[in-house]
Amino acid sequence: MEIMEVQNLCKTYGKGEAKVEALKHVSFTLKKGEFAAVIGESGSGKSTLLNCIGALDEPTGGRILLDGQNLFGMGEEERTIFRRRNIGFIFQAFHLIPELNVEQNIIFPLLLDYKKPDPGQVDEILEVLGLRERRGHLPGQLSGGQQQRVAIGRALITRPKLILADEPTGNLDRKNSREVMELLTKASRQYQQTILMITHNPNLITSVDRVMQVSDGMLTDLGGNANEKLS
Amino acid sequence: MKNYLNLIPISAKLHRRQTRMTRWCIVISVFLISAIFGMADMFLQSQKNLAIMTDGAWHVMFRGLDEEQTAFLAARPEVETLARYAATNYKLDMGYEVGGVQTVLCGFDETFFEIYPQAHLLEGAFPKERGEALVTESMRDRQGLSVGDMVEVITPEGSLAFTISGFVEDTSMLLKTDAYGIFMNTDTYLSCFSDATSGEDFACYVAFVPRCRIQRAIKEICGQMDIPEEMVSENAKLMGTLGQSSDHYIMVLYLTAFVLAALVAASGMMMILGSMNSNVAQRTEFFGMMRCLGATGRQVRRYVRTEAFYWCLRAIPPGIFGSVLTVWGLCRMLKVITPTWFGEMPGFGVSLPGVGSGILIGLLTVLAASRTPARKAAEVSPLTAVSGNAGTVFAAKKAAHTGRMHVETALGLHHAAGSRKNLILLTSSFAFSIILFLGFGIGVDFMGHAIVTLRPCTPDIAIVSSDNACSIPDALYRELRENVQIKRIFGRRFAYDMPARMAGEEKTVMLVSYEAYQFGWAAEELRQGEMESVRDGAGVLLVEKEGFEAEAGSEIELETKTGLQKVRIAGILSYAPFDGGGNVGTVICSEDLFRQLTGGTGYTILDMQLENPSDAVVEEIRRAAGDGYRFFDNRADNRETRAVYFSFALFVYGFLAVIALIAAFHIINSIAMSVAARMRQYGAMRAIGISIRQLQVMIAAETLTYLAGGLAEGLLLGLPLHYYLYRQAITARWGDAWSLPLMECMVIAVVMIGSAAAAMTGPVRRIREMSVVETVGM
Repeated sequence: MEIMEVQNLCKTYGKGEAKVEALKHVSFTLKKGEFAAVIGESGSGKSTLLNCIGALDEPTGGRILLDGQNLFGMGEEERTIFRRRNIGFIFQAFHLIPELNVEQNIIFPLLLDYKKPDPGQVDEILEVLGLRERRGHLPGQLSGGQQQRVAIGRALITRPKLILADEPTGNLDRKNSREVMELLTKASRQYQQTILMITHNPNLITSVDRVMQVSDGMLTDLGGNANEKLS
Repeated sequence: MKNYLNLIPISAKLHRRQTRMTRWCIVISVFLISAIFGMADMFLQSQKNLAIMTDGAWHVMFRGLDEEQTAFLAARPEVETLARYAATNYKLDMGYEVGGVQTVLCGFDETFFEIYPQAHLLEGAFPKERGEALVTESMRDRQGLSVGDMVEVITPEGSLAFTISGFVEDTSMLLKTDAYGIFMNTDTYLSCFSDATSGEDFACYVAFVPRCRIQRAIKEICGQMDIPEEMVSENAKLMGTLGQSSDHYIMVLYLTAFVLAALVAASGMMMILGSMNSNVAQRTEFFGMMRCLGATGRQVRRYVRTEAFYWCLRAIPPGIFGSVLTVWGLCRMLKVITPTWFGEMPGFGVSLPGVGSGILIGLLTVLAASRTPARKAAEVSPLTAVSGNAGTVFAAKKAAHTGRMHVETALGLHHAAGSRKNLILLTSSFAFSIILFLGFGIGVDFMGHAIVTLRPCTPDIAIVSSDNACSIPDALYRELRENVQIKRIFGRRFAYDMPARMAGEEKTVMLVSYEAYQFGWAAEELRQGEMESVRDGAGVLLVEKEGFEAEAGSEIELETKTGLQKVRIAGILSYAPFDGGGNVGTVICSEDLFRQLTGGTGYTILDMQLENPSDAVVEEIRRAAGDGYRFFDNRADNRETRAVYFSFALFVYGFLAVIALIAAFHIINSIAMSVAARMRQYGAMRAIGISIRQLQVMIAAETLTYLAGGLAEGLLLGLPLHYYLYRQAITARWGDAWSLPLMECMVIAVVMIGSAAAAMTGPVRRIREMSVVETVGM
């Protein structure tokens, strides 16, 4: 079952001679539960793609349908609410709220929706993330790896249709990077969670289902289980 | 770029917008401190000059000193000038006359000219020889005198003759009383009045050397020379301006001014401190990056401090320049509006204490304020900074309470109250506005008590019966009433010293008639009863006074020419613009009743308020009235009274308006800075899915926390300060009891609430317009 459909996506910056085509007619789909990676050189357009899919940046042309809904066919307020309910974000720089503890950071998207979190679900996520003992800690009291695990928990809590991970291990050492990748894979398998990850680290794509490459604004689908082909 | 510190001006240029608020804070604080201290300095200088012009440059006057004591006093090192002075016929009641004009005779030392600049020598020389004297210029002009002429004073004991050695300017007292003055040396004076005067009758006026501690010197002199305290009097005005007065009230007033000035300085310091904290907090990443690149903590500290110094260099001069211009403008304006009070104000003077305090407080505050942010910036760990963890230098120490309220509200509250230091700093700086407003609000009460305002009934000119009888004919009243240049004319008939009986007690009253205007004005003073029947001639009004207490409805018996007349007291007034003095009560009635009671048909006084107060109009009225009446022209006094009130009102209300504006600026600035410091965090929240409306609520919750805290703290500290200052400056002098300054509280609260509402619009607009991608740095 297709959960996301990107159709003919274009994004242009600047005008005249300064015009830069960051994305050129990009089209692809993602199935529910699929863990896909977009790789590419720095400046290739992969972050632009992620920003457009995350409804943070408006494309110049094309459409993005998430669960059949056109992301840019709705107003700003509606799109914001849609985003917090259907898209989870994991940033390279974590972006946790420093005034909220681990548990509060995780349930933050639910709180924004004025929903009461299910304690069982929160406990389960804390357990999966290995943060049960640290649920009352503030971000400043956690290591980088632990902070990124909190960010993963925050992305998972609403059971979004799609999780977008932007270089999720970019600020982490090898051990923590491995742990984060294991968690993302587990989330994808255990919760049938669709994940689109952006990375320029070829080592991270060993555990993904599908790899796409962005180069000079154009997307090439490298197909599933790219481990052998790319290694 | 030769040094990493050269980055500061480059960074300042690039981040002009971010540092604008901080620079403005410094400019405004320096301006405020420098302008207030400068104005206070100019005011003191002008009051000192005015005191010297009106009362003389002497500090202390000793009475009853003999020759030896006088010589001993003059020889003391702290005494700069000593002049002996004595006068005869000072009250113009002893019958000393020259050409039929009352004349004051004074004897003094030549040094008297040094300490009494009003006595200005116009021509000739000080009388050295016995029998010589100076005379006033009005005597010269009216008697046609010149130096060397003889002048003869007719006295009750015979006549005195003097050779004129020169002429002096008329003093204001002599001008006002239309009298002459003859001034001689002390020897001549003693020889003229040898039988009634001795050396001890001279008053010794003493001016001390600059920077002398006068009270201590007086104590020493009195102790050593055995002079009783009651023989020493101070030039209160001059001593007050020097801060050396022993007058408790004057010193309390100066203390009040000092407390308020200290509050202004503290308020400026708080503004700078708050804005610098926020400014550094916004740049965590930058300092983290510097640390990543190898800058030591000490280098970061130096960077922040040098940056603060750089801001000082750019912000202090405009602040000082603005304050100098403001002081010039205000001084010029005061000189023009109220020359009598502020004529001695320097026109384009630069106040060194004002400029100095502005620079010093500005510089020290900025450098001191940069210490904490510098330390915080140096403590930024490179990892924390570059992780971009949506945080600030001031990382949270406690988690927000999200259980009982919406998360955006909880976060807003936590942003404000999470850091106790930040909360105290911001609420205190908000509170300072209230404290300042309430403190300076005392000025309104002080002005209301100390500055005489014109009453609605104050006339521009008055025609008064020369024998205080009802001798001004009604025909004159009717004639003047037709004059279109006269806005209002209202007459009063007086019957003085009328025997009366109230509640069985014998009294003396003054019966006065009112007409429609005066009854209208008196209505505001009606404490009891009614006025209608008085207008109709069926009753009288009694003015409240000790010994004349009565209830409305009671009766008073008046012994008139036609016999004993019983009249009903229809109303009690708390005030009347005149008083019979001593034990004489005031009874007011209608013109008809006055005529019935006394038979008087004319007026004692005709007061006029002019439509066009020109000299031509006044001359026309004078002509219409003819001779035989006294004519009072109050136009200049009224103009001056209005101008003095206007000047003070302008100052007091202007100052309150400036404080209110600064409160508004500070609130808007603080909220803008607080939001700017968390922009990345808000960007990340937007990415996660927080709506603009929720961010609005978050900022509103933060703002309201500061506002509520500021209002509570401000009122908690401001009201006791108001109470204290009121007791010192108002109750101590006029006896009025303190009451809650509701109006002041309401005005500043409305200003602050309005500013807080306005403060939220800018940041919310910026959040609405922000690009999440650029803000978060994805």
